[in-house]
Amino acid sequence: MKIRHIQHLYWRAGFGISSHELDDIKSNSKSKIVSNLFTNSEKINPIQLDLSEFLEIKNKTPKLLKKEMGEAAFQKLRQKSQQKVRYLNHTWIDRLTESESVLREKMTLFWANVFVCRDNNIFHIQQYNNTLRKNALGNFRAFVKAIAREASMSKYLNNNQNRKKSPNENFAREIMELFTLGIGNYTENDIKESARAFTGWAFKNDGSYFLRKKQHDYNEKTFFGKTGNFNGDDIIDIILEQRQCAKFICTKIYKYFVNPVVDDKRVEELTTQFYKNYDIKNLMTTIFSSKWFYNEENIGVKIKSPIELLVGIQKIVPVTFDKKNQLNYLQKMMGQVLLYPENVSGWKGNKNWIDSNTLMFRLKLASLILNNAVINLEEKGAFEDSFEKYYKNTKKKNSYIKTTKNWEAFAKQYGDLDPQKLKELLIVSKLDEDTEIMLNQLKIKSNRDYCIQLMSIPEYQLC
Amino acid sequence: MKRRDFLKQSTLASSLFFVPNFVKAFENIAKNSLGYKRLVIVQLSGGNDGLNSIIPYTNDIYYQKRPNLSIKKNNLIKATDELGFHSSLKPLKNLYDQGYLSIINNVGYPNPNRSHFRSTDIWQTASNASEYLNTGWLGRYIEKHCKMPYSGIELDDSLSLIMKGKTMNGIATKNPRILFGNAQTPYFKKVLNHQSDAHLSEHNLGYLYKTMIDAKSSAKYIYETSKTFKSKLNYPKNPFGKQLKTTAEFINSNLKSKVYYVSMGGYDTHANQKNRQSTLLKTYSKSIEVFVDDLKQNNTFKDTLIVTFSEFGRRVQQNAAGGTDHGAANNVFIIGENLKTQGFYNEAPNLLKLDQNRDLVHSVDFRSIYATILDKWLHVDDVSILNKSFSKLDFIS
Repeated sequence: MKIRHIQHLYWRAGFGISSHELDDIKSNSKSKIVSNLFTNSEKINPIQLDLSEFLEIKNKTPKLLKKEMGEAAFQKLRQKSQQKVRYLNHTWIDRLTESESVLREKMTLFWANVFVCRDNNIFHIQQYNNTLRKNALGNFRAFVKAIAREASMSKYLNNNQNRKKSPNENFAREIMELFTLGIGNYTENDIKESARAFTGWAFKNDGSYFLRKKQHDYNEKTFFGKTGNFNGDDIIDIILEQRQCAKFICTKIYKYFVNPVVDDKRVEELTTQFYKNYDIKNLMTTIFSSKWFYNEENIGVKIKSPIELLVGIQKIVPVTFDKKNQLNYLQKMMGQVLLYPENVSGWKGNKNWIDSNTLMFRLKLASLILNNAVINLEEKGAFEDSFEKYYKNTKKKNSYIKTTKNWEAFAKQYGDLDPQKLKELLIVSKLDEDTEIMLNQLKIKSNRDYCIQLMSIPEYQLC
Repeated sequence: MKRRDFLKQSTLASSLFFVPNFVKAFENIAKNSLGYKRLVIVQLSGGNDGLNSIIPYTNDIYYQKRPNLSIKKNNLIKATDELGFHSSLKPLKNLYDQGYLSIINNVGYPNPNRSHFRSTDIWQTASNASEYLNTGWLGRYIEKHCKMPYSGIELDDSLSLIMKGKTMNGIATKNPRILFGNAQTPYFKKVLNHQSDAHLSEHNLGYLYKTMIDAKSSAKYIYETSKTFKSKLNYPKNPFGKQLKTTAEFINSNLKSKVYYVSMGGYDTHANQKNRQSTLLKTYSKSIEVFVDDLKQNNTFKDTLIVTFSEFGRRVQQNAAGGTDHGAANNVFIIGENLKTQGFYNEAPNLLKLDQNRDLVHSVDFRSIYATILDKWLHVDDVSILNKSFSKLDFIS
């Protein structure tokens, strides 16, 4: 397998590949390299934060807790637990950087932007995140059914307010519009009828699912031309009977893993396969084993998401953030904060990551975290902030991203590398002619400096 | 400079200066700005309590629903025999008295969403409650009619959805000097100095270079133009005052920007609303008053329209914490010199007819306001920007 093709595979199935990793596998056959990606991702390793200090939130209802500890103490405990969601964000980013289950983690990130969800309850959102991880390479049918039962999702799309007497259609609408079929592929009546099938779907405080039988509508529903006493699972089955569902997911997969510009013929082929059994692993195997995946037109043409950019840098130069909150700052300035999507339709990706401000920031990212470049931009305040807090950062003058860089680890792998090799390792996109001339004119003093320089050119924004 | 120092600022070392011709072209735009209309949008972020800003002081229900939070009749500035201004809004009342203010009551949209995020999205993209757009209404305006990022400026360090188009966006800056500095950092500069426009394609790499070039030119243009005017007025010493001062400097230096967006935070008053909102409204209205003065003194007020909105109003009924929860319809303030309808544009809120959440029901769709502005103020086709036709209002002619 060509080095360039291995790099391409690892950028799409993961966050790039280090020099040592590449050395280890470059003499292997393509089928071995691809199958290893899957073998390494077989094990499911859930994120489990230490949440022992918040166990009461999990075990008792808010009402009971308020009564026991008083309103003020309860609010304090709850706020503290909400802070943990940020901690989960940091843990997740570390996971993306370090995990051996490269593909599973990349898929988890992908699915988090299909089944978009947001929740302040740390127990529920951690469980949600692990449900994504668990099903990331599994069966799409089981996946949708699991998501529909998640406490966080139930709250996020108001299914907890969906009752027989007054159905709430939000979840029913979004499951079709954003999760499975896409807008225009169902009727308003399909929404009304399917909302009834999800009535009474509820969750306990600990995040487990149960059915409130009194709130569930057991009567007949007509959905996609079929009539029966459908429940939510039946509805999901009928949705998956629509070939459009397989097409919708394959299109998303293609745009994310192959090329932001869709090739209808390829997507059709993938759809035909996926529609048979909705097996995600098989679908991904087909893509990564295909010949066309490695076509030059698919390599280095996707604009990295902020997380791909950030994690990709850390894969080359291991970095620890001394102030974890600065990770939030970086994500915010680039427009992608994990676990805090702006709305249920998710991040649009590719060109949508880029405007004048984000691009200037992204081009500076490597300098910020590897070279102590000065920060002179502030993140936006939050809606819930007081006036003072909303603008709290405006008083700060020059600050820095405090990181500990492991340049020794970098030196071991890249220190003595031919600069040309380093360039090929870091840049997968075609080089702009003028920029190439400029790079050729550079006097390279050390690979460490050159690495930061390479990470600062527009081509590094692509993978 | 030593190479190491050079690198400290993060660099690509090289020399030579090529500026593509098409970059030069727009840097030399004529400075003629007669009759150049501008729009300034202010968002009171978090959801301002409109009922305690413009108070229905003869409405018994208002006082019943807000036993502790209502503003007493003798503690407000009466405007009509129904409605009065919060005493902190004295400067706004002054604008009202001069005929520079039009207040549109009961503005909202069908099926109101009570999440800050979602409702802000809806207001910024001009979508329906059930529709997700990834471009903002000002972004679409810039993309269609202006062609350069500096045409739309957000007074912040990162860009909001309101200013985003498909492949052309506005630009965010609170401080043009810093923006300029960031577009002059060595790596940015060196890459661009080597760049000729001959082979920029519409593919992603070309798009990145194009965005870099536009960013650099816009940053330079904003910085160099705006530094020619320094405001002499005393704005309130707080970040919102600063944002408006910078906006005035942009406008008064004849910067060729059409639309501005400023977000002022702090309005999510779930608890202890009384003092908090009072301080906020004071900060808001005092800054706005100085801003209007600044524009008037420089003869730019006649060509500037200032629109203030919140993503939603707040619940009619006060809560147990001395605050109010997220609501629905709210008032919108339009400030300008030549308003057609001065004072109150429409009827006061109807507290008898609330929705199922016990919130105010809208009678004016916010997109009717946008349509009116696009059509009558910016003189462009509103339908192609809002993707739909909305009935127009009469507050400007």
